[in-house]
Amino acid sequence: MSVWVYGEQKSELGLEGTITRKLEEDLYEVFIGPQHPGSGHMRIIIRIDGDIIVEADPDMGYVHRTMEKLSEGREWIKNVPLFERMAIHDACNVTVSYVMALERILGIEPPPRAKYLRTLLCEINRIAAHLYGFGIFGVFIGHSTMYMWSFADREVMVELAEKLTGARLTHSYPIPGGARRDMPQDFPQAARKAVRYFRRRLDEYRKIFLDNPVTRKRLEGVGIIPKKIAAELGVVGPVARASGIKYDARLAEPYDAYDEVEFEVPVYEEGDALARAWVKFEEIKQSLRIIEQAVDWLEKHPREAPIHERFWAKAPPLWKKVFEAEGRVKLLPLMANLKLPPGRAMARSETARGEIVYYVESDGKTTPYRVRIVSPSARNAIVFKYIAPGYKVMDLPTIYGSIDYFPPEADR
Amino acid sequence: MMAGIIDLILSIIFYPPIYQLVLVGLTGALVVVIFIIWFERKATARVQRRLGPYHISPRLAGLPQLVADLIRYAFQEVIIPKTVDKELFVLAPIVATVLSILPIAVVPLTSNPAYWPIPMDYSMLVALALTTVSPIFLIVAGWASNNKFSIIGGVREAFVITAYELIAIMSILSASAAVLSFNLVDIVEAQRIWYILLNPIAFLAAFLAVLMATSGFPFEIPESENEVVAGPFTEYSGLLYGLNMGAAYMKRFAFSILIALVFLGGWSPFTPGEGILSGYLIPSLIVVAKATILMMIFSLTRSIYGRFRLDQALEGAWRLVFPMAVLGFGLALLEAYLGVM
Amino acid sequence: MSLDQARRIAEEALSGIEYRVDEGKGFIEFIVAKENLVEAASRLKKAGFDHVKSLTVVDYKAEDKFKIVYHASSYLNEDLAKAIVGIGTEVPRSNPKVPTLVYVWRSVEFQEREVFEFFGIEFEDHPDLRLLLLAPQIAEKKPLRKDFIVKEEPIIRTKPPTG
Repeated sequence: MSVWVYGEQKSELGLEGTITRKLEEDLYEVFIGPQHPGSGHMRIIIRIDGDIIVEADPDMGYVHRTMEKLSEGREWIKNVPLFERMAIHDACNVTVSYVMALERILGIEPPPRAKYLRTLLCEINRIAAHLYGFGIFGVFIGHSTMYMWSFADREVMVELAEKLTGARLTHSYPIPGGARRDMPQDFPQAARKAVRYFRRRLDEYRKIFLDNPVTRKRLEGVGIIPKKIAAELGVVGPVARASGIKYDARLAEPYDAYDEVEFEVPVYEEGDALARAWVKFEEIKQSLRIIEQAVDWLEKHPREAPIHERFWAKAPPLWKKVFEAEGRVKLLPLMANLKLPPGRAMARSETARGEIVYYVESDGKTTPYRVRIVSPSARNAIVFKYIAPGYKVMDLPTIYGSIDYFPPEADR
Repeated sequence: MMAGIIDLILSIIFYPPIYQLVLVGLTGALVVVIFIIWFERKATARVQRRLGPYHISPRLAGLPQLVADLIRYAFQEVIIPKTVDKELFVLAPIVATVLSILPIAVVPLTSNPAYWPIPMDYSMLVALALTTVSPIFLIVAGWASNNKFSIIGGVREAFVITAYELIAIMSILSASAAVLSFNLVDIVEAQRIWYILLNPIAFLAAFLAVLMATSGFPFEIPESENEVVAGPFTEYSGLLYGLNMGAAYMKRFAFSILIALVFLGGWSPFTPGEGILSGYLIPSLIVVAKATILMMIFSLTRSIYGRFRLDQALEGAWRLVFPMAVLGFGLALLEAYLGVM
Repeated sequence: MSLDQARRIAEEALSGIEYRVDEGKGFIEFIVAKENLVEAASRLKKAGFDHVKSLTVVDYKAEDKFKIVYHASSYLNEDLAKAIVGIGTEVPRSNPKVPTLVYVWRSVEFQEREVFEFFGIEFEDHPDLRLLLLAPQIAEKKPLRKDFIVKEEPIIRTKPPTG
């Protein structure tokens, strides 16, 4: 396609005209977003021939916050709350790999209790984020009941996370060398109750949404990503696993307590929107299993400070007193001016939407030299460009919802 | 002179098609629509485990919420964008609303000839013909808006019209094939057994066609929010938007009345007698009650289903529901041959 | 399979090309000359590294160079998936141009666009090198380079009202 400039005379005068592209004949260009009920904070420019999408161009960046640059001016620990803002409902999963990268540079391993606590919160977050995704997916294909149900049930998990960390969404829970605080005494009962509740509810979800004939008709065979193409496009998370790729960062490079707990990674071969919905659905079940195991482990083992002893040794007496009396640990003051030795590390973790990769480089100061973040949605955005063409306009929300694209996370 | 004018006005008001349109059509429809929208919100809320409308009069469970909404729509600014075709943009929703309620002007709500709006010989044909006029104006609204989403919505509406119209007409007409009459009163009187039991296939086809015609939930395609914002109504605001939204419910009401007459035995089990009470009021209330129950069933689909894709809805309509309607028609002919009705 | 085994596979694939190994924690990088980048990348892909996880660019202002590394891993080979292997090159800050690897790994398409706007690094032959996230005015400043300094807004402390 050639580039056309409106108004030749204007460009002679040195004024830039609007650069437009001439459309092929019979194509209809529709700008979906950013102020559109079905777009989120992004724009998809689609060109349609009749009812068929022939070209789709995801135009991202509407909620870009330059996190990579901002992080270079902040202390190591302050970047945790910053990176959380990518996906606030998935806060622990998103930041745990950043913290892991820091730990790798520091050369420390968190104590097992901290590992289990992190795992616990990660799984709680995963369920909440999947429910969020289900809700958006439901409303995208006009299923308001799924939307209302999953957003209401997400509240259970959000409250569980609040019980554990003190914050509903932005927990800032993982810190280098451990976790920010231990679980309260009555947490195991609450967690088990939530797990029981979800087991019952998931069955109802399946009945009303996944096995609903209308939903199945809408999702089956839509947005098919064959295995080879999925690998070529580098899609992540449930999108990749629905296409038959057996890849999960929790399996590939087990972090925290994932090499000790038992869980399965659901993999589907179909690669369509329905398979992606099923992957998420099954993952919720697996997360429930992990939550149970983590809670059991935490209950059985005696309480210890969920932070590496190297830091705990330097804790002020008040912190130790509070820990002995109430069993909780607050953020250590030395974290504020944490200095990392020079070094480079990469770490990955599996968020609800897929794998997030951090590259962290330290030059020995209290702030990072460079942090590179590649979030799952940023890697999945390419699906719009290569998979959406060929499907109908009404399939676009289906594809959008099924890859669970989350603009703030993609834009970083 | 004065008396003459008053007589004239009175004769206009009491001209049967007019008072039926005003009494049952506008007033009745408004009351029923307010109730139905409330019911739809409450029932959906019940399924979705939330409260639904609550703040306007909690004692009535939020029933007057829609009145409040209507008042809000009435006082909202009507924004008419510069790029639209002004006359059509304003006219289309008004005409669509009026036309969608118009079939009520020709349906009988009693067997007492004194209260018939028009001579009944071809009333069913006239009513069915009138139902087909209003959707055109939704397309007009879409085109007049001069907005890509509106146009896509309008085109979708056009596709859906072609799909449901034939089905609706064929399945409802099957009753007249069975009774060998276009007279709605004859059809109602002939139903010793309700026609729904004699010809459930035609009823099912009619039910699905009405669901499509009024953007009921698996077929809520022209206004599908996630692709085309609000379809033909994207550029509308204030009262005009409210009219657009109301038109679909009005149309559903008109269709429901028609189905109540044709399939659900009309005013049976009551036999209309003389006088306004037993001759008009009671039978018409029975018909409206049946129509309301039908509409309540329509509104339950919202909480169960998502929406079909356009091509799937069309495919379903042409491949599945249309043969069903034909089958229903054949069944009706068979029943006429055997003299069941 | 550990990182060492993945390293051996990558070294085998890259035999004949001059490279320098940069080790980090949790990954390994092979730095080659700019001219050999496409060749090296396609050999790595043939060896089984089928997608790029992160296109990492670091601005070493003191050494006057950009380090561009494609951190690749595998989906289809479950053993290789456990390691992250980078292939990269270094370009001077004055002339930041590298050949694109889109035709080797389609998964870098959007990431190359991102690097293009943040660092001003041009990827030659990229099919669609446009801005991805930033507005043109901001992309001109090439915000992730080290000479772009984010001005911290001062924290204004006011004394709490007394009395």
